[in-house]
Amino acid sequence: MSELIKKVKALLNDKTINVFVGYEKGSADRIRACFARNEAQANKVFFDASCTQNLAGYLLKHEVKHFGKLGILANVAALRSIMQLASEFQIKDGEVYVLFANPDGTFVEFNDFHSIEAYLQTTDTGIKAEEQERIASLEAMSNNERWLFWNKEFEKCIKCYACRAACPMCYCHRCTTDVNQPQWIPVASHERGNLDYHLMRAMHLAGRCVNCGECATACPMDIPLNLLTYQLISPIKETFGATAGMKADATYALSTYKPDDKENFII
Amino acid sequence: MSRIGVFVCHCGENISATVNCEKVAKITGELKGVEFSTDYKYMCSDPGQTLLKEAIKEHKLDGVVVAACSPRMHEPTFRKACAEAGLNPFLCEMSNIREHCSWVHPKDDLTTEKAQDLVRVMVEKVKKNKALNSIKVPVTKTALVIGGGIAGIQAALDIANCGHKVIMVEKQPSIGGHMSQLSETFPTLDCSQCILTPRMVEVAQHPNITLHTYSEVEVVDGFIGNFKVKIRKKSKSLDEHLCTGCGLCTTKCPQKKIPNEFERGLGFRPAIYVPFPQAVPNKPVIDRENCTYYIKGKCKVCEIVCPTKAIRFDQEDEIVEVAVGAIVLATGFDVLQPDFFPEYGYGKYKDVIDGLQFERLASASGPTQGQIRRPSDGKEPKKIVFVACAGSRDPAKGIEYCSKICCMYTAKHAMLYKHKVHDGTPYVFYMDIRAGGKMYEEFVRRTIVEDGTHYVRGRVSTIYEKNGKLIVRGADTLMGGIPIEIEADMVVLATAGVANKGAEELAQTVHVSYDSYKFFAEAHPKLKPVETNTAGIFLAGACQAPKDIPESVAAASGAAVKVAALFSNDELTRDPLVALVNRQPAPVFSTCVGCFLCQSVCPYQAIEREEIKNRNGEVIKTLARVNEGLCQGCGTCVALCRTKAIDIHGYSNQQVYTEIMALLND
Repeated sequence: MSELIKKVKALLNDKTINVFVGYEKGSADRIRACFARNEAQANKVFFDASCTQNLAGYLLKHEVKHFGKLGILANVAALRSIMQLASEFQIKDGEVYVLFANPDGTFVEFNDFHSIEAYLQTTDTGIKAEEQERIASLEAMSNNERWLFWNKEFEKCIKCYACRAACPMCYCHRCTTDVNQPQWIPVASHERGNLDYHLMRAMHLAGRCVNCGECATACPMDIPLNLLTYQLISPIKETFGATAGMKADATYALSTYKPDDKENFII
Repeated sequence: MSRIGVFVCHCGENISATVNCEKVAKITGELKGVEFSTDYKYMCSDPGQTLLKEAIKEHKLDGVVVAACSPRMHEPTFRKACAEAGLNPFLCEMSNIREHCSWVHPKDDLTTEKAQDLVRVMVEKVKKNKALNSIKVPVTKTALVIGGGIAGIQAALDIANCGHKVIMVEKQPSIGGHMSQLSETFPTLDCSQCILTPRMVEVAQHPNITLHTYSEVEVVDGFIGNFKVKIRKKSKSLDEHLCTGCGLCTTKCPQKKIPNEFERGLGFRPAIYVPFPQAVPNKPVIDRENCTYYIKGKCKVCEIVCPTKAIRFDQEDEIVEVAVGAIVLATGFDVLQPDFFPEYGYGKYKDVIDGLQFERLASASGPTQGQIRRPSDGKEPKKIVFVACAGSRDPAKGIEYCSKICCMYTAKHAMLYKHKVHDGTPYVFYMDIRAGGKMYEEFVRRTIVEDGTHYVRGRVSTIYEKNGKLIVRGADTLMGGIPIEIEADMVVLATAGVANKGAEELAQTVHVSYDSYKFFAEAHPKLKPVETNTAGIFLAGACQAPKDIPESVAAASGAAVKVAALFSNDELTRDPLVALVNRQPAPVFSTCVGCFLCQSVCPYQAIEREEIKNRNGEVIKTLARVNEGLCQGCGTCVALCRTKAIDIHGYSNQQVYTEIMALLND
């Protein structure tokens, strides 16, 4: 811990960064994100195995960005988010200082995108076993059962947009939901509006979701939203051989064409 | 409040037979915002258009819906009429009540109701239409001709003689194509080389023509009037400016036994070679696959003997980027490969050859100096069987079409053979004799009557070798199908003409459509025979379908006229139905977040990056921007844009939404 705090202080002192996005203990010792800009705040930086949030979601937030140069304490999901954001031209190499929290308790600096890519090749980036089981059980359902399952889940949605705020890939200044000329997605939290919103979000994350699960974690109504986007990961991989967030210069599977693309989805 | 006019067309009886047009006009006339509505028998006719124009003026219309045929048919007609009446043409929309309604439904009240719905949807759309101005794009008055055979040469010369610049790209080391391989040409028997080579020289010397031989087109971007093309000039391993074409290197090259492609394998060539003596440019290239130096790392005999020190072993391929306004495809054809005829023994028996090989045997510049000698032992064949339709018109083999040129060249081969071997006997197995063309039938008659060629109507079933003779088995269908067996010294197969190797890839590179045989497709089989479906790209010669020389030349001149007509304009007018990235006041500038998925998905490379800078010149935001000249309005970017920052003129999100809502909120 002291090593981490020392490091953050050094980074802030020599102006390598202006703000460090890490974890701290909030009220009732709950883990929350912190944005350390000075020594006092740096002293609060905390890390242990319970710190699992993907902090990359904050990187493009205007409120954080305006502090200047950012440093981030990244887990594997955050590394993948950074790669995906880089491939969408949202982060340039060297723009963000990345300190990686190794599962063995040490901290590793990643100086460039290339070293992040190399690390991601060697580590497990897959979906957790229990989530895989849940996806399998969803896929085992008939179309109608699955339709009813999701409708029942979406009924709970209160349209608080916490999923959108937590998602590192939802960085648009103006979400499609907020477009009202014309209003394709109804804003009210009723059955149809909820369905439209979540389907739209799932489609926008197809081939981009880095399976961090922040959307489901953030949801106050406990909707397993992550399953919706996770379900799109393997079809994209099988069809186009693409996995999101592995390479900083990757092209988007759904916007590029290769002559050897499988076309088995064309009936 | 809108003042929209609705004009319902009967299209003779095409629409009125199943749709009650008067009722459609009456009901839609009552819609909110519709000021005037009427129906007319032929809206596209002169009185119909006059009616439309006068209604616009009289009722001060600010929007027009013409309920008639497909907009593909008459949208330009009615938009022009609106413009003539002083209404912005993009305030006119067509509602397709013919293809989408009257043609596909029976006469019924529901059919009329559907027509009303379709009109209502368009009325709602037109309310959201905006007056737009046409986009003007400049025309680059340089043409690219791909392929340097007779068609490419003709097209290039015709365009160049109109005063426009031409860039010609030829894959082989020399231009000339298949015509340079031919001996004499039907029906006049003039020497192919003698009429072709002066034109090849003219191409090389023409001040308006830039020639790139041993080159291939790699990338074609852009659109009519403004193509950007990348040409790969393959390394000739030679400094062309230093080389004088003396040919010393070709005589000293130790590799001498490489099958000569120009002679169709009937002769040999060295590794550094000029394809044929009359080649243009008459400078050698090194065939790196067969060159001793590139295989073993030493030799360099050519470099040592070269008097001007022109050999460059380390020369690399060069990529040349050119801007052109039009493209002529003249990549020609190929003939079927030997493995296509196991039953005829092509490739197995040396004396079974194809028509092009016979051309080389009969050619004065060929491997036998024009004497007919069979490849196996060099003896003069006394009996030759010519097999027409070898592969062509054979659905079982997958080539259902007629290769068109074979009847005539087979007759010519038989005639040339008789002229050279007076005591020889030529046989021709044929299915039908197709000799449509000026002096063609007379030519075939001459072969039969004057030169005594034996024409046997029937197909050859098999060819095999026995005691040094080729036994040709077939049937004579005019004699009741009796079996026939001929002991021949040589067999010539009139092999089917097929699309050139790589035609499919080239079609994909230049973005033109092609048929199931991989021949390039014309825009209309009768009325647009040299145009492709891609504006600004034209076809000449046998890349479109098998063609003889006169046809290829005629098509090439046709394509050249199309290019010249295009180049007669300084700028082209385009519909302004293009995409647009929205702009907002600072500090947002645009709801575009610069993910540039639109850029990777755009098939026309129309999306550019625009940097928004502050007063200190620092980039604060990078946005997508649509190049209006390149955008074709396909809307793919709109579909992919997550923030809906891109919209498309004429088919905006708002308009599409309004149309759907008009239907749903019935």
